Amino acid sequence: MRLSSSNTYGTALESLVDRQARLAGTQEQLTTGKRVNHASDDPAAAARSERALASERRTVANQRAVDASNNAMTLTESALGDAGGLLQSAREALVAAGNATYSDTERAGVANQLKGLREQLFSVANRTDGAGTYLFGGQGSAQAPFVDMPGGVQFQGTSGQVQAASGEALPLTMDGEATWMQARTGNGVFETRVVASNGGAVIDPGKVTDPSALTGSTYSLQFSVAAGATTYSVLKDGLPTPQTNLAFTPGQAIALDGMSATITGAPANGDVFELAPSTSALSVFGALDKAIADLQTPGRSNTRIAQDNAFALTRLDSVLGQMNAGRSQVGAVMNRVDAVADRLSALKLSSQTERSNAEDLDMTQAISDFSNQQTGYDAALKAYSMVQRLSLFNYLNA
Amino acid sequence: MSALMAIGKTALYANYAALQTVGNNIANANTPGYSRQDAKLADATGQFTGSGFFGKGVSVTTIARSYDKYLTNQAVGSNAVAAGDAARFEKLSQLERVFPIGSSGVGYAAGEFLNSFVDLSNNPGDSSARQVVLSQARELASRFRAAGDRLSALQTGVTQDIKAAVGSVNSLARQVAELNSRISALKGNGQPPNQLLDQRDALIGEIASILSVTTIEADDGSVGVFIGGGQSLVLGATANTLKAAPDAYDPAKAKLTMSEGPIDRMVLGSSLAGGALAGLLKFQNEDLTAANNLLGQMASAVSGAVNRQQSLGLDLGAPAGAGAPIFSVGASRVLGAASNGGTAALTLTVTDASKLQASDYEMSFDGTGYTVTRLADRTPVPGSPFTPAQLATGVQLDGATLQLTGGTANNKDRFLLQPVATAARNMQSVLASTRGIAAAAPFTGSLDVDNTGTATIASLVAVGPAYNGALSADIAFTSATGNYNWSLSDGSSGTGTWTAGSPISLNGFELELAGVPRSGDRILIVPTVSVIANNGNALAFARLGSAGIVAPSGGSGTGAAPQSITDAYASALADIGVRVQGGKTAASISGAVATQSESARANRAGVNLDEEAAKLIQYQQSYQAAAKILQVAQSIFDTMLRAASS
Repeated sequence: MRLSSSNTYGTALESLVDRQARLAGTQEQLTTGKRVNHASDDPAAAARSERALASERRTVANQRAVDASNNAMTLTESALGDAGGLLQSAREALVAAGNATYSDTERAGVANQLKGLREQLFSVANRTDGAGTYLFGGQGSAQAPFVDMPGGVQFQGTSGQVQAASGEALPLTMDGEATWMQARTGNGVFETRVVASNGGAVIDPGKVTDPSALTGSTYSLQFSVAAGATTYSVLKDGLPTPQTNLAFTPGQAIALDGMSATITGAPANGDVFELAPSTSALSVFGALDKAIADLQTPGRSNTRIAQDNAFALTRLDSVLGQMNAGRSQVGAVMNRVDAVADRLSALKLSSQTERSNAEDLDMTQAISDFSNQQTGYDAALKAYSMVQRLSLFNYLNA
Repeated sequence: MSALMAIGKTALYANYAALQTVGNNIANANTPGYSRQDAKLADATGQFTGSGFFGKGVSVTTIARSYDKYLTNQAVGSNAVAAGDAARFEKLSQLERVFPIGSSGVGYAAGEFLNSFVDLSNNPGDSSARQVVLSQARELASRFRAAGDRLSALQTGVTQDIKAAVGSVNSLARQVAELNSRISALKGNGQPPNQLLDQRDALIGEIASILSVTTIEADDGSVGVFIGGGQSLVLGATANTLKAAPDAYDPAKAKLTMSEGPIDRMVLGSSLAGGALAGLLKFQNEDLTAANNLLGQMASAVSGAVNRQQSLGLDLGAPAGAGAPIFSVGASRVLGAASNGGTAALTLTVTDASKLQASDYEMSFDGTGYTVTRLADRTPVPGSPFTPAQLATGVQLDGATLQLTGGTANNKDRFLLQPVATAARNMQSVLASTRGIAAAAPFTGSLDVDNTGTATIASLVAVGPAYNGALSADIAFTSATGNYNWSLSDGSSGTGTWTAGSPISLNGFELELAGVPRSGDRILIVPTVSVIANNGNALAFARLGSAGIVAPSGGSGTGAAPQSITDAYASALADIGVRVQGGKTAASISGAVATQSESARANRAGVNLDEEAAKLIQYQQSYQAAAKILQVAQSIFDTMLRAASS
């Protein structure tokens, strides 16, 4: 077969250029470190890497949301810790005020101490994260959520929690209403009240003896003293019950449908005590305000002082309990934040791995390919220059 | 003696002629289109004598061109296909750069824009977070615009390339016609005009690399050149004119017509087997259109979904109101064919961006009904053909509404409907104020403090703009199995049953619960008071990142789920990538075929220098031998003269 010289040169040159282009392609891959530099290099891998990149970026954004939640929860935790400490001080002051030897003036002094603590608690409740968001603002409050008004402190935000956009339910704020304003009254199930007390009787907060027997009704204990004998009758929601005219023994528990309460001391004729279901209406500030008002009231009887103090301590314990419940809730969120953060960094890593698998270069393979192509190109160049020298005209000259 | 002298002379002439041919071959070894020539020698007719026939030397019968019609046609044909594939591939690799992978793509910008709502929801009142959202929105719109502009620039480039190519074809065709007339004029002298034939073959090869042609040789030596559908480009000494005319619908696009006398006939791109023009037309009509529509579909879908979400939230205005649109995209276009005679006025408006398809639609009127065909998959849209009355009230085309607002169409009138083709290049971020971002949800839900169940509010979003933002709702569960009573503050009430995983719908909002409510649990939904601190709608924006907002190709009828914007971009990227890959493979295969058939042609017709060197020696020696004949003849003559003189 005869060959056209010009065509032979042309095709040889073309294949040299082709080899050079392939070498340059491998070089581009080696310098960028990527196997897929354009979608056409591997359309499926390009799409995969695009999805992995989007997932990675979303994960990074979610990590910021988790950080924001973590930051808010850390601040809230410390605020709740402060509030708990202040309430603890208030409790100690109240315990001291129960000292029977205190005078009205001394109790007024304790009341002043409580007022100071109340002010501090109020500022804790309205604490911000430093960037204008109220820690206890619930689902949004542009102004301070707790407002001191005639009749007591009111919550003017929206209850609930603002969620971060992390894909998980992680809060950015704490429900201030639930934490500060909605502790349970009494012992959490029912509360004992004094309706009329003229004798020396004091009722304790009571306890639940049989949760399954609870009825949710309000019971009223009506005492009568006749001829030195103290008896009481029980009314259930205002209606008489079979428990009528029972003999009363001070210090002995009175059992009522799964509840029991103990009245000590001697009730006077016509004294009425009540056992009513608890409500979630006890606010931190309400409990303190009541205690302060009581302590500032001069001329109370000892029985009254003991009774008021007992109730004040019960209330304070309840709000303290609610505060601690909030604190443990925050702790649980922070635990979850850790778990979510771990999960997100694992997700980020797997997205990065996915992206790298899709578009990154196998260096060993590429270097091996590159040196292969280099050898091939080198050989082609040598062959070209040798073949080019072969011409009959060279021999004719010689 | 004179006979010998004569023989020597013919040998001298013939070998000189052969040497001349070899010299010419060597001289033209690198001339494109040159065919190797051979001096054809024949021994001259012998002279009869009583002792038999005596040879009378050698004669040159002709200078023949080494030419193989089959190989030449094949080389021209495969070169045409290769040129078409190469032209398309070159444009495709430019197109690919409009859909880059990684952080410079449109999909990335869309993701970042929606991710910025995550930061906004961390701090909905923060004006810097709002500013980031607006900057990302501007970035997204400008990326869509830049991509759309690059597609427009590609279209302009293609149109210019087509015009330039058409100009070359016409000039080449005129040269072929001129050569035809010269060749047929020389036909009479009995010898082939090798140089002119070579020139004509080269010109036809050049035409074919732009526009594939078939050739038919006529008896007078001229060649007829025909394109695709049999329309003649060159016939004898006359050349017709090819024209790059504006497309019937869209003047930015080009189509080919052929002027045959006073009539312009359309040349269908699909009838062209090869040539750069075929590649360019295929790129323009298939690849570029698809890319434009893919991009436009994404722009419309993102813009539609974002604007819709924006309208369902509350901005920071005084008073707070539904958010104004963040993006605007170009209006949908209705393009009437230039040949339409009717007066029909049509409007096309996007009504549900999540159903838009990445396609143009063609509508034709047959006198009674309007047939609408989706061009991406060449299927009629549901309900087609439409009566003029249906059209007057508006018909649905995959998320867009087409309405005949006035006038009437004539029979055979045609329209091109483009719901999304211009959306990307006209995309703008139109929200200027950070306070305009509707980060707050119109409702806030809270759980009653005495709830005993585990239910919490997973999401509370407005789902339609028809909600009444002034009403509050109270939902009280009455059983452990999800029965509830609801009441609105306008006094209306009712009952319902909640099941896990499905939302409670009331007053235009949807409430999703996580956990399980117990009997006696209550959920209160109140109008949002503190708009600046509420992030309900920002959360919904953030969720758009993984929500299906782009319709699957083929529409809802295929049963495929809508795609998220990331998936849609990834699919578009893969679609374009596959086109480029296919174009590259086609170009490399047809390039190899063209190289091979050109080699086959060149090996027959081209010059081999070694061969010519050998022939040079061969004819040189023959020439020297012929000279020796003359010398011998002369010395014989001298011998004779000496004998006679002595």
